[in-house]
Amino acid sequence: MTSSSPAKSLGARRWVPLIALAAVAVVCLALPQVLSSYWTDTITTWIPLAVAALGLNLLTGYNGQISVGHGALFGVGAYTTALILNEWHWPFLVTVVASAVVCFVAGVVIGLPALRIKGLYLALVTLAVATLFPQILEQFSDTTGGSAGLGITNRELNRRGVMTDRSIRFEPPDLALLSADDAKASSQWRYYIFLLVAAICFLLVRNLVNSRAGRSIIAIRDNETAAEVSGVNVAAAKVFTFGISAALAGIGGSLSALELARVSSGTFTLVLSLNLLVAVVVGGTPSIAGPAIGAVFLGFFTNVITPEFPEDVKPLTPLILGVLLVVLMLAAPGGIVGMYRQLQARLAARRAISQTAISQVP
Amino acid sequence: MTAQRPLRLAAVAAALALLLSACGRDDDNADDTGGSDNTTETTAASDEDGGGDGGDAAAFIVPEEDCANYEGTKGIEGDTIKIGTVRPESGAYSIYDTITKGLEAYVTAVNTDGGVTAGDGKTYKLELVKADDAYDPAKTPAEVRRLVEQEGIFAMVGEIGTSNNLAVRQYMNDNCVPSIGLATGSPEWGKAAEYPWFIGGLPSYATEAHAFMEYLKTEKPAAKIALLYQDDDFGKAYQATIKKDIEGTDITIVDEQSFNPLTETSPESKVAQLATSGADVFFVGIGGAPCPAALRAQPSDWTPMTYISITCSGKTAMALAQGRDEGIYSTQATYDVGTAADQANPKVQEFFTKGAAAGLQEAELQGGIAAAGWGFGALFVRGLELTPTVDRATLMNTLYSLDGENFGLALDDAAAHTNGADDPWIIEDLRVIKRTAGSWEGVTELISYDGKSNDFVG
Repeated sequence: MTSSSPAKSLGARRWVPLIALAAVAVVCLALPQVLSSYWTDTITTWIPLAVAALGLNLLTGYNGQISVGHGALFGVGAYTTALILNEWHWPFLVTVVASAVVCFVAGVVIGLPALRIKGLYLALVTLAVATLFPQILEQFSDTTGGSAGLGITNRELNRRGVMTDRSIRFEPPDLALLSADDAKASSQWRYYIFLLVAAICFLLVRNLVNSRAGRSIIAIRDNETAAEVSGVNVAAAKVFTFGISAALAGIGGSLSALELARVSSGTFTLVLSLNLLVAVVVGGTPSIAGPAIGAVFLGFFTNVITPEFPEDVKPLTPLILGVLLVVLMLAAPGGIVGMYRQLQARLAARRAISQTAISQVP
Repeated sequence: MTAQRPLRLAAVAAALALLLSACGRDDDNADDTGGSDNTTETTAASDEDGGGDGGDAAAFIVPEEDCANYEGTKGIEGDTIKIGTVRPESGAYSIYDTITKGLEAYVTAVNTDGGVTAGDGKTYKLELVKADDAYDPAKTPAEVRRLVEQEGIFAMVGEIGTSNNLAVRQYMNDNCVPSIGLATGSPEWGKAAEYPWFIGGLPSYATEAHAFMEYLKTEKPAAKIALLYQDDDFGKAYQATIKKDIEGTDITIVDEQSFNPLTETSPESKVAQLATSGADVFFVGIGGAPCPAALRAQPSDWTPMTYISITCSGKTAMALAQGRDEGIYSTQATYDVGTAADQANPKVQEFFTKGAAAGLQEAELQGGIAAAGWGFGALFVRGLELTPTVDRATLMNTLYSLDGENFGLALDDAAAHTNGADDPWIIEDLRVIKRTAGSWEGVTELISYDGKSNDFVG
């Protein structure tokens, strides 16, 4: 069937992921050029989810620790950014870093007890974090704005001589790449910055899991005792992973606050934590691309498909998503990436068979 | 393969939880009006403005100066004006969806009559686009953004919930999109100098409390008040006004209890506590179903003079009091569609006929909730009739310079006056009413608090 030599086809296959990556990059870069500013803003909200899911995937997929509380960490990142910007007006990207640091510390604090509790029990502890977080925000509503929320604003004098809040916005630079319409350019610019932040995060995590530390993280998941015997500092690695994972959730939260110019207690509920888990599971784990794919799936479902439902079906949306998930888990337990890998393995097997068939021809 | 096990557990847990949340979505958002925006420090600012822009001559909103990106006639296509509203269609507060049914009925009635002839001489049909936020202020911004940017509405009308409106006020202000006839009376809507694109459709809760306190001063100058207030912006507005109004009088608050709709299901224990305070006045500053529940919870040997929030004075809520509504007080600005004497009024008759034709059920017509939505529709349409040109800023300027308007189901003697930031409240004529044999009866004349609503804020 195939006339190419085995070596050549292997080389061609090595190029496939790179070409795919380049294609994805081109699509990502082109999207805000073809989409309206409403849709640009909408897909921008998917990026923070992808980054947070990446963090959760590192913890769950690579390290084998469960967290149902990443929605709360996402919230900590969002509020850190909101409060810093309202109080001190730091540059946006500095607040992203600050949120990452705060969440790293929060992650370490949650990660310490996780050394002793595992599996379902750890899930329960993080569940408590997820449930408590909105209540805490509600309790301190003078600072957090409670359920009505807190706008991220700059105060300026308006025409009537009154100090008025103006939502923060990304001032677009004068680039030919960006639209001439100022509002649209701002949306595009914000999207590109978010994309860059996300790309850096994905790259760093990819390098981390391929490093020595990454191998320790994975070894702990596969067999904690064996890892310890092999000289891995299990406690340090687990706490570190929890911290990094939380920091990524914090970056996600920070980006989401910058996008919406607003935070409110109702956003950071258990549902968000579950959605992050859904993104991880749907995307497929352990994998680097999985969380991004999962976040896009979730965003597509929420923002593109759901609004198209007829009015009387809309209240059933969570039910539909639930059923969809059950079906997906039955059909593809490894998520979308798992499905791709399975397909790849099957193709490789078929090719190997045909190769042997050819070589057996006298 | 061990790695897969926790993940699978998580996946199942996530799927289960999503299924559960589909069955009972009353989680985290069940407050009537809660929270506060980050605007507390600006309360005083709105009074300072004064008539700096020269009274009637200068327009209140000047889009060229107020807006970075003004799209004045967006949402008007041909002879159709597209308006939007956000309401809880699902969730624990879906009872408020009936407000939107009333608004929708008004829109249908207007279109059936051939449309509304605006101040520019043209006749427009209305199109209402609804969105559901399940009363969750965290969901409101995305829905409003979709209505404004994707559906391309001209204005929001009758949007429900204090927190929900607070969550989008900044956005609407930034984008210069009007939100007219807000279905909430939070004193926040009096900050027109900062947020000129928001205009309320109910009286200020502060004015409401003040009207009752004035009455109380004449009836019971040494009253001892037991106060039950909702632990959010809505309830605290009552609390603050009452405290301000009793300064320098012999009236005292002998006990006060807060009710948190997020964490508590029934105000029963709070009412029992208040009943032991020896108070002879019971002020019920809570909304939704807990309001009639508080009446039910009154022990039979405690018979204070009881006042309930205007938001729960409709027939639907009163029916839930199971007979404990006799003799209680409230305030009103409109005819009560559930009171026999008011039902003879031509405005109420028109509401009944046209509302029924537009699909409202008998219980909705008399329940009082749909009537509120009808009023928000009427306010918007009255604005259209008056505005010399149909664009966002001119319409708002028209609503900010009303001169004796009477619309919807407003009491016949009521006359709405507004004047920019000096007098941003449309509905300021109130009378105190008393519940007698299943009907509301006025115990005071209609009192005009025109231009004073912001002064009553505690």
